[in-house]
Amino acid sequence: MESAADKTCLEARGIWKVFGSKSDQAVELSRDGASRKEVLEATGCTVGVKDVSMAVTRGETFVVMGLSGSGKSTLVRCLARLTDPTAGSVFLDGEDLTAMDEAALRQVRRQKLSMVFQHFGLFPHRTVIDNAAYGLEIQKMAKAERHERASAVLAEVGLEGYEHHYPGQLSGGMQQRVGLARALTVDPEILFFDEPFSALDPLIRRDMQDQLLDLQHTLQRTIVFITHDFAEAIKLGDRIAIMKDGVFDQVGTASQLITSPATDYVREFTEDVPKIKVLTAGDVMQTQTTSGTRSVPASATVESLLPLLLEGDDPIGVSDADGRTVGVVDRNAVTQILASAR
Amino acid sequence: MTAASPPVGTVGLRSEVRRWLPLAGLVVGALALQLLFSGDDAFPARWDSTFESPIDDAGDWLRSNRSTHPVFTAFFSPLSRGIDAIITGISDFLLWVPWFVVIAAAAAIPARVRMYRAAITVAVALAYTGVIGLWTETMQTLGLMSAAVLLAVVIGLPLGILAALKPGFETILRPFLDIMQTVPAFVYFLPLFMLFGIGNVPGAVATLIYALPPVVRLTTLGIRTVPPQAVEASQMYGARRRQTLTKVQLPMAIPSIITGLSQTIMLALGVVVLATLVGASGLGSPVLQSLNQRRTGRGIAAGLAIMAVAMVLDRIWRSAAERDPLKRHPRNVTLVGLGILAVGALLGRVVGAGSFPEVFDWTLFDPVDDVVTWIRDNLRWLTRPLSDSIVTWLYLPARDLLTDTLAWPVVVFVGAWACWRMKGWGLALFTASSLVLVGLFGLWELSIDTLVQVLLASAMALALALPIGIWAGRRPRIEAALGPILDGLQTVPSLVYIIPAVIFFTVGVVPGIMATVLYAMVPGVRITALGIREVATESLEASRTFGATPRQTLLGVRIPLAAPTIMAGVNQVIMMSLAMVIISGLVGGGGLGFETVVVLKRSRFGLGFEVAVALVALAMILDRFTEAAADRLQPHRDTGL
Repeated sequence: MESAADKTCLEARGIWKVFGSKSDQAVELSRDGASRKEVLEATGCTVGVKDVSMAVTRGETFVVMGLSGSGKSTLVRCLARLTDPTAGSVFLDGEDLTAMDEAALRQVRRQKLSMVFQHFGLFPHRTVIDNAAYGLEIQKMAKAERHERASAVLAEVGLEGYEHHYPGQLSGGMQQRVGLARALTVDPEILFFDEPFSALDPLIRRDMQDQLLDLQHTLQRTIVFITHDFAEAIKLGDRIAIMKDGVFDQVGTASQLITSPATDYVREFTEDVPKIKVLTAGDVMQTQTTSGTRSVPASATVESLLPLLLEGDDPIGVSDADGRTVGVVDRNAVTQILASAR
Repeated sequence: MTAASPPVGTVGLRSEVRRWLPLAGLVVGALALQLLFSGDDAFPARWDSTFESPIDDAGDWLRSNRSTHPVFTAFFSPLSRGIDAIITGISDFLLWVPWFVVIAAAAAIPARVRMYRAAITVAVALAYTGVIGLWTETMQTLGLMSAAVLLAVVIGLPLGILAALKPGFETILRPFLDIMQTVPAFVYFLPLFMLFGIGNVPGAVATLIYALPPVVRLTTLGIRTVPPQAVEASQMYGARRRQTLTKVQLPMAIPSIITGLSQTIMLALGVVVLATLVGASGLGSPVLQSLNQRRTGRGIAAGLAIMAVAMVLDRIWRSAAERDPLKRHPRNVTLVGLGILAVGALLGRVVGAGSFPEVFDWTLFDPVDDVVTWIRDNLRWLTRPLSDSIVTWLYLPARDLLTDTLAWPVVVFVGAWACWRMKGWGLALFTASSLVLVGLFGLWELSIDTLVQVLLASAMALALALPIGIWAGRRPRIEAALGPILDGLQTVPSLVYIIPAVIFFTVGVVPGIMATVLYAMVPGVRITALGIREVATESLEASRTFGATPRQTLLGVRIPLAAPTIMAGVNQVIMMSLAMVIISGLVGGGGLGFETVVVLKRSRFGLGFEVAVALVALAMILDRFTEAAADRLQPHRDTGL
């Protein structure tokens, strides 16, 4: 039997990131309750991330959603230790990343970490396959072997036949596939995504999201995904953290955020979300164990219940993964959801 | 932010007074100094020999101890021999390889990236130098040039990398680079000539010093401008610093370094050619000889050979900067090409082919002299009055005003005042003290002469360059048409500009000024057009939507927004004018330039030191002053983000 702690893959405890020379003083002030603006006026320092703690379970997709300036990109850079946090620690499989020296960190990065960047961060002077194989090249793997592995991954992301092109010859969507392939080639434990799709056209963005979901279905990696797009967060995230002014306003599943937003700020995002597409039968059911004549799984969206509810008056039974009935959904419950969308 | 109108009453009066106070100080100070000192003649050259004779003695000592003293035997002589070995190694190799192989190899470099027109240009240009019998000189110039650039890269690249990675190191390095870039390369000949004696080495070292700052700067800039995400990506895969540097940062920076260096290469060729004054071999000497002997035809022929070398370097450099790897021929084609060249070289040596065959000789160009003389005589109705009016209406009055009419303290005071207003106390103090020092050296009149020539030529160059630049900047088609002409003119080494100027304006100040105007106006046009073109379309459209006429838009939006860029162009025009005015000392331009020539010809070290100090001071004052002017025109950079 695994405990919750064993399943935690990446954990951050009290991460602070303050930009400026008097960062320690700024942390003190901020701890005492000063606002970002007050800290800036008093010390000239900008508080990017303010005492953030989080734990990401193995195989989970954890999305950090925030608008520009919320500190989300800084947070992910602290998690990957691309910048050193001003205070706090990051644990990866129980090891303290923040305490590691350069050599140990390099070793962990080679074995466990990968990142996909907003503007792709590709190397324009290298071919697609040499981009994808970069992580293995750094580990001094022989050329034939690393090319073999890289081309397998390139085929997986749909870039077969483009191995010897240069990034500049590819469209934005294809370039980000190269970025994704580069990240996957090293077979990482954790993938960081820093707004990977925000530079893409909406249609291509949707394709990329779908592809990521497909990949994740088979790969089951631990993912920390940064985005400013709430719809994207809902689509991809097992859990979502809403970030504002350097802190998490709320962390929870999409349904939790929608059904019980913790702050007005969170509510503003959830208001425009088509709830019937996000909420499931499990979210809206009344707990009850007697079964009706009809039954749906708890993971079915409310939207998919609509035709059934129109067919007949009687409540629909909701069953869990093992087929046991756990509750019922009736017209009344769904009407309330539809009404609250206004 | 606009200042609110001042409150009425005493406060308003006081601020009014404060505004006029500096100007009043200028007028009163200048008048007082003029009245006090007007009786005196020119600057009392009290220290004239104070510095000159000890340095002359030191120079004599250098000359007599060059082969014995440890400083030379242990340091300068081996250094000198090493540099000379590189230069002669390259040029001897180029002369050993059969001429047709050299031409084929040079043409193959652009051809490798499918720039076939450039390949033909390179082949024709090189063949031209051979046909007119200057093959050996061309190879010597190429050898000197390659050695200097090679050394600049070998030294500059690591410095640039270090500066990019260690900001502290850059802070230390920057002032040195600033000074190295401000001083006209010609000035370096003076001290180097003392240390290394006559020959190729001082020329190569001067070129190296001249080319070093851009190499360092471009390397630092290139590495800094690699997208941070590419560097982060490399770090994320666990790359070591060195791996990130060699696999990501350098490969991504090198194309921009090469592109940025192309102009430096062209200017460095100008220095290499001038190095003939310190005894370097190459294409400079036929040009100088023919200028001295009034063999215009030969001068033109040799000048064209220098331009040919410039074209060769430009095309080869541009093809090296080609970023697109797809344009490159596959590796096996390249290998086959190399093989053919190597076999050709060996076969050529076996049959005894080396230097270009003597197709015809110099005297064939002598008829050109008659043609040129005829043209000159028939243009005299234009050139004579032009020349006379420049001298009588502009040059002489300005020079006499500054050297005769105004007492020297007035000039120093006004100069310092202007620097104070433009930049601050630091520059004002520097200007005043260096002007006084120059006077004490006994170089007051010569320096003022040079200054007047520089300012006159700059003003004329700007009077031509600004309208053309503004015109071209507004019309992309005209800029596109002018582009190749300006490209061509920018590749012409400075010495070559002297040739037509001498043909049409014979000797004296005017040919120098004319050559300077031609030489300096090119960057003026370039940068002005750039500034005008780069004004944001939105600003222009905003102006137009309010119903502004094109003229209103130009004067009210375009020029003010382009002003900082244009001012940077003015800075470059003035600095290039200074470099050229010094060179024009070769054709009787007078001033410090002529003094430089005297120093180099007669090995007068003391005078050389003083002239070098004066030129460095002039260069620094002019550069910092115009730079401050450009800064002032910059719209409030600190507001907003």
